[in-house]
Amino acid sequence: MSVVEISGLRKHFDAVRAVDGVDLSIQPGEFLVILGPSGCGKTTLMRMIAGLEKPTAGSIHIGDADVTELPPRKRGVSMVFQSYALYPHMNVYNNIAFPLKAQRREKKFDRATMRGKVEAIARLLEIDTLLDRRPRQLSGGQRQRVAIARAMVTQPAVLLLDEPLSNLDAKLRANARDELKDFQRSSNITAVFVTHDQIEAMGLGDRIVVMAEGKIQQVGTPQRIYDDPANEFVATFLGSPSMNILRAQSHRFGFRPEHFLPKTLQDNPNNSVSFDYFVKRVEYLGSDRLIYGYVGGHENELTLAKVPSNVRAALDIENEYEFAVQRENIKYFHEASGERIEAQMAGADW
Amino acid sequence: MNVLGFVLTNFWSLLVLAFLGLVGLRIGWRARRYGATRKELRYVLRRSPFYFVVLVFCFFAAAPFFIMFLHTFKTDGDLYRRPQPFVYRQEPTLEHLDTLFNNTAYLDFIRNSVLVGVAVVIITLLLSLPAAYALARLTGRWGERAGILMFLVYLVPPTLLFIPMFRIVVLLGLKDSPLSLIVVYPSFTVPFSMWLLQGFFKAVPPELEEAALVDGYNRVEAFLRVVLPLSLPGIISTVVFAFTLTLHEFIYGLVFIADTSQRTLSVGVPTELILGDVYFWQPLLAAALIVAIPVGLAYNLFLDSLVQGFTMGAVKG
Repeated sequence: MSVVEISGLRKHFDAVRAVDGVDLSIQPGEFLVILGPSGCGKTTLMRMIAGLEKPTAGSIHIGDADVTELPPRKRGVSMVFQSYALYPHMNVYNNIAFPLKAQRREKKFDRATMRGKVEAIARLLEIDTLLDRRPRQLSGGQRQRVAIARAMVTQPAVLLLDEPLSNLDAKLRANARDELKDFQRSSNITAVFVTHDQIEAMGLGDRIVVMAEGKIQQVGTPQRIYDDPANEFVATFLGSPSMNILRAQSHRFGFRPEHFLPKTLQDNPNNSVSFDYFVKRVEYLGSDRLIYGYVGGHENELTLAKVPSNVRAALDIENEYEFAVQRENIKYFHEASGERIEAQMAGADW
Repeated sequence: MNVLGFVLTNFWSLLVLAFLGLVGLRIGWRARRYGATRKELRYVLRRSPFYFVVLVFCFFAAAPFFIMFLHTFKTDGDLYRRPQPFVYRQEPTLEHLDTLFNNTAYLDFIRNSVLVGVAVVIITLLLSLPAAYALARLTGRWGERAGILMFLVYLVPPTLLFIPMFRIVVLLGLKDSPLSLIVVYPSFTVPFSMWLLQGFFKAVPPELEEAALVDGYNRVEAFLRVVLPLSLPGIISTVVFAFTLTLHEFIYGLVFIADTSQRTLSVGVPTELILGDVYFWQPLLAAALIVAIPVGLAYNLFLDSLVQGFTMGAVKG
C-alpha cells in the first residue's frame, strides 16, 4: 500500500511539457528524492502533488483518496519551500501554529492543546527558545527548522521539501542534511525531497527518482542508480567527475573515472579491458589525482581518470600508460536512444 | 553703503546663518567639554553640510506655512502697507478667523469634505483591493492589458468628463448633494489606488500565499491573513493618497453642487472668499492652513510607506 500513487501525470505550459507522463508510487515512511537538472520538471511534479499546480492529465492518489481535483488544504500534505516562506508578520510561535489554526475550525481542540503541539514540535527541532522571535531575526538554519516545524505540526501524510537546503551555506548544509535524515527516520514520516544536488540526493534518499525533460529516467536506491544506470543520461548526470563516454562503431560505452586505473593496480587484471592512456594534464586534489587525457583510438574524446593519492605510481604528462577497467564496470549504451544495452548486444569485441 | 545694503536686504537669512553658526559652535564646545575626541568632532563637521542642505529644504517647505500662519492674524492695514512688515506693525487680530468660521460655511465645508473623503476611501478600498490583487497575480497577457486599460481611465481629465457626469448626477437625482461626489470620485480614485496597490501586492512573494494554501486556508483567507497584513503600509499610503485626491478635486465639486452649505472645502473656500476680484487673503490662508496641517501630519507619519508606494509603482507597476 503506497501513500502517494501518481499515474500518467502530465503538465503542459503552452508548448512546454514540464511533466510528460510520470508514474510513481511513494511508500510509507520512505525518504524519496527527486533529482534532476533545473528545468526537468521536478518542482512542477512536487507542486502538483501539493495541489499548487493543476495537472493537464493523469491522476494523483494520496492514501485512498483521489486528490487530483482537490485544493491543497484538503490533501493532507505539507510543504517546505525553497525560500521557507515564513510569514514575516508573525512570530515563530504563530508561524508554527498557523496550520493548526486552520484545522481548529473543523477539529475542535482548545488553545492549550494547540500550544502543546507547537511546543512539542519546537522542542523536537530545538527551536523552543525562539518562539517569540520574528523570522527576520533568525539565522538561515533556524528558519529552515521553523519551516519544517510548521510543515510537521499537523502530522501530514506526506512532507514535501523543495530544495530546502539550497539557501544554507555549505558548512551548515552537511549538518542540516544529517539532522533532516535523523528527524525523518525518527518521526517515520513519508518525505519527498526535490533537489538538483546529487550529493544531497545520494546522502538522503532511500530511493532516488532521476528526472530529465519531464520524464522519469530511473527510480532506485542510490547505489543502484550509481552502479547500474538505466541510460546514458543517468550515467553521466550522477558522479563527479562524470562518467567517461566513448564512441564505438555501433554503440557508446562508458566507465567511471575512479574505475579507470593503471593496469598494474587492477585486482583482477585478467578480467579487465586495457587501453593506452595518454596523459595530458594532472590535477592534484588532495585525496585523489585527477588525470585528463585520451585513450588510444579516441583522440577527440577527453577521458578522465581518478587515481587515489596513495597510489604512488608515476603519472607524468605527455606520457602514455597502460590503464584498464574491470569488465563489469563498463556500461554500454544504444547509439540512438542512449538506453543501456548488454555487452553482447553492443558487440563489444574485448 | 553697498555692504550695508546687502546686510539690510538679506537681514533675515544672515540672522538665520549667524544663529546656526552660534548653535554649531556651542554644540562643538559642549561636546569637547564632555570628552568628544577631535576625530568625533571632525565626523560631525563632515556630516554637517548634509544636514545644512536638509535644513534649507525644510525651510523652503515650512516657510509658506509659517507665512500663512502670520497672515491669518494680520490686519488689513498691515497686509496692504508697503513695504509689508514681515511680522506685525499693528496688533494681531482674530477678526479673520471669526469671519471664516462665522460668516462662511467653513465648518460645513469641512464636514462635507470629510464625509465625501471617508466614503470615497471606503468605496475605493472595497473595489480596488480585490481588483489590484487580481491584477498582481494574473500576470498573463490580458491581465496586464486590463490593468493598463483601467489606468488609462484615470488619464481622461475631468474637464472632458464633467458635462456627461453632470447629466448622470442629475439623472440619479443627486444634484446639489455631496452624495453626487461620493458616486463620481471613485471614477478616478479607484484606478489610481488599484495601480498603487498592485505594486504592493506584487512585492508579496507568491510563495507566502502558497504556503498558506498548503497550511489549510483557501485563497480568500490567504489574501486576508497573509497578503493584506504584509501590504498594510501600502494600503495606508493608498488611503492617504485617495483622501487627498478627493480633498483637492475642484471641477466636479463646483459643477455638481450649487448649494453653498453642501459644498466641499476645495470649492466652498474659494467661492466664498473670492468675490469677483476681491481676495479675502487672511481667511483664505487660514482656511487652507487649517486643513493642510492634519493632511501634512498624516503624510509625515506615513512618509516611508508613501515613498515606497511611489517608487514601487514606478518600478514594478
